[in-house]
Amino acid sequence: MYEEFKGQADFLTIYIREAHPDDEWQMDVNIKDDVCYAQPKTFDERLAIANDFAKRFNFPLPLAVDTMADEANKAYAAWPERLYIISPDGTVAYKGGIGPFNYKPEEVRAWLEARRPKAAPAESSRLRAN
Amino acid sequence: MIGAISVAVLLLAGFGVAVYLAGSPRDAYGMLRYAVWQMSSGEVQAGDRAPDAEVMALDGTTRFRLRERLGERPLVLVFGSYT
Repeated sequence: MYEEFKGQADFLTIYIREAHPDDEWQMDVNIKDDVCYAQPKTFDERLAIANDFAKRFNFPLPLAVDTMADEANKAYAAWPERLYIISPDGTVAYKGGIGPFNYKPEEVRAWLEARRPKAAPAESSRLRAN
Repeated sequence: MIGAISVAVLLLAGFGVAVYLAGSPRDAYGMLRYAVWQMSSGEVQAGDRAPDAEVMALDGTTRFRLRERLGERPLVLVFGSYT
């Protein structure tokens, strides 16, 4: 979705407090996938996991990390995962549901698709000429 | 006596519901102990001014505020973690 819409919108991923660290609510799927990390107690620990993640997936989206004050997480009630769209005027255009069950990238896609810019004027006049 | 038994039954029933929702006793415990208190619908609503927050770039030294990334285009914010 990022590749498809990066010409139309800006994307920023914010790396927050771990959802299923192995010292809290560990998940079997994480054990199987070798994603075993304790909940970071320092910023360096969180930064290291964020970098691991970015490297493992060659993550293309811009990625920033929430500080240990969890300021972004708290402001957006983000944990464990959530999507928002902010309009250029600084208001919340879309507020996604709480993850994982209500984390719906397809809703973001629909929002972006509904606002996809129409064909550029040069293209339109070329079509008309034909 | 009856009161204490009733409370115990209610707590067990509640835990049973959690097991059903989460899929296993271990997951029910995890959900109740760690997840429930962290999840929130959140105060900010669509149409509200988007909150600002200071975050750090992956280099570990560059700080910036979320709203600095807001330009002429919509900004999609994706929140999550590796685990």
